[in-house]
Amino acid sequence: MQKSSMIVRHRLFDRLCHWFIVVTAFFTILSGFSFLYPSFQWMGAVLGSPQLARVLHPFTGVLMCFTWMLLLIRYYKHNKFQKQDAAWMAHMKDVMLDNEDKIPPAGHYNAGQKMLFRMFILTSVVLTVTGFIMWQPYFAPHFSPEVVQWAIFFHALCAIVLLLGLIVHVWMATWIEGSIAGMLYGKVSRAWVRKHHPLMLDESEQEKH
Amino acid sequence: MSARDIILRSGTSELTPPAQARHAVDKVAKLFDATLCTGCKGCQVACSEWNDLRAEVGTFQGSYQNPMDLSSECWTLMQFHEVMDDNKFHWNFTHTACMHCDEPSCLMACSTEGAIFQRADGTVDFDADKCIGCGYCTTACPFSVPKLSPKDHKAYKCTMCSDRLAAGLEPSCVKTCVTGALKFGTREDMLFLAEQRVAQLHANGKTKAGIYNPAGVGGTGMIMIFEDITNPEAYGMPKDPVVSKPNTLKQDWLKPLGTAGIIGMAGLALVHRIAVGRNRVQEDEQNNGSEE
Repeated sequence: MQKSSMIVRHRLFDRLCHWFIVVTAFFTILSGFSFLYPSFQWMGAVLGSPQLARVLHPFTGVLMCFTWMLLLIRYYKHNKFQKQDAAWMAHMKDVMLDNEDKIPPAGHYNAGQKMLFRMFILTSVVLTVTGFIMWQPYFAPHFSPEVVQWAIFFHALCAIVLLLGLIVHVWMATWIEGSIAGMLYGKVSRAWVRKHHPLMLDESEQEKH
Repeated sequence: MSARDIILRSGTSELTPPAQARHAVDKVAKLFDATLCTGCKGCQVACSEWNDLRAEVGTFQGSYQNPMDLSSECWTLMQFHEVMDDNKFHWNFTHTACMHCDEPSCLMACSTEGAIFQRADGTVDFDADKCIGCGYCTTACPFSVPKLSPKDHKAYKCTMCSDRLAAGLEPSCVKTCVTGALKFGTREDMLFLAEQRVAQLHANGKTKAGIYNPAGVGGTGMIMIFEDITNPEAYGMPKDPVVSKPNTLKQDWLKPLGTAGIIGMAGLALVHRIAVGRNRVQEDEQNNGSEE
């Protein structure tokens, strides 16, 4: 395959951000899981002893969330809802069954990804805000017990919602072959774009001119 | 005390209960009669003596109360509430320590298996070795009793002198009380004494006297008698303390539903991958460089 048949989908900075989030999320999610499900405390062992995991979780979480928010800002322009998104949503079944001919064209991101994007915005913000409120011993003492208790609740709620979204993210990334290579090396083939994000071709053409 | 005495452990569910063999153990309670308390602070000192605690000496805050709040090194505190009634000044003294709730909100909120536990005699205790310092117990407690230590970031509170109870002794605060404001025995006996005392107070014209044994936390292992039960806030105690609602919502609804959701979503992904198969792009056979 010649070089010209490859199209840039993710720039180097964005790719570095993405994989930095993956690494910090690995530690944050496993340790967070160990606090939510005490029976699975061993999952927190990725950050050392349970005590150490408790100390480090907010720091890996902050590193994760701030990079994540930066990436969300950078990808915002690709995630505005557009006319074609409703048609795509209506053909969700064909998307899932890979009925290629029946899937309405999508841009840089399809409607499903755009919904996931909004879920990521919501959870990243709520997890960060509630995380600071419940952070012992630095911030929690400055809030009333009532506020801290609700922060703990919404932190857990958003963590579960995030995990559900993350399962979908990983599921789709591994199913749509070529996606992970795209996020690792930045480029996807022209045929890949034509199948999954045909309108992205127009978008990248527009950007050139 | 052995592991066989533990009937409830934090971070576990009904699927894996701790030892339930000793169900014939009587629940114990302290009875604090505020109408007999003179605010001598004997209980506060006895607590720090027995438990080898030496909270830092604070500064004068305009009250006889010192320190102003419980801490990781002050597990029993004499509260001095200054009250004006009919232009007459009087103190409301409150012996402040863990209430040893029958339904301990701290235990239910704890993030760590076995860091908080309840014994067959009803006492609630912390295992500092297991505590990770998340602070969930400190905010879930409706009485604000557990406190995180600034030194080791672990939560501490009154143990009801569990080491003394194991040897058949009463808690050190009860042992030292000179006016009989503190008594110790089975919960049944303490409630019986409390009812007798309240009847006596009523006969003496203190018709508002009553027993503080809040039902919102399942009753407590520290029962109190107040001269005016309609206004426990005048003694620094909450009117209707309840088990933490956000935590109950989290443990009883969010976690079961969330777990089902996570397993369901992962299962769906797996079935989809197996059933639908790979999603591959048919790359153009000739290179398409000439397409443009």
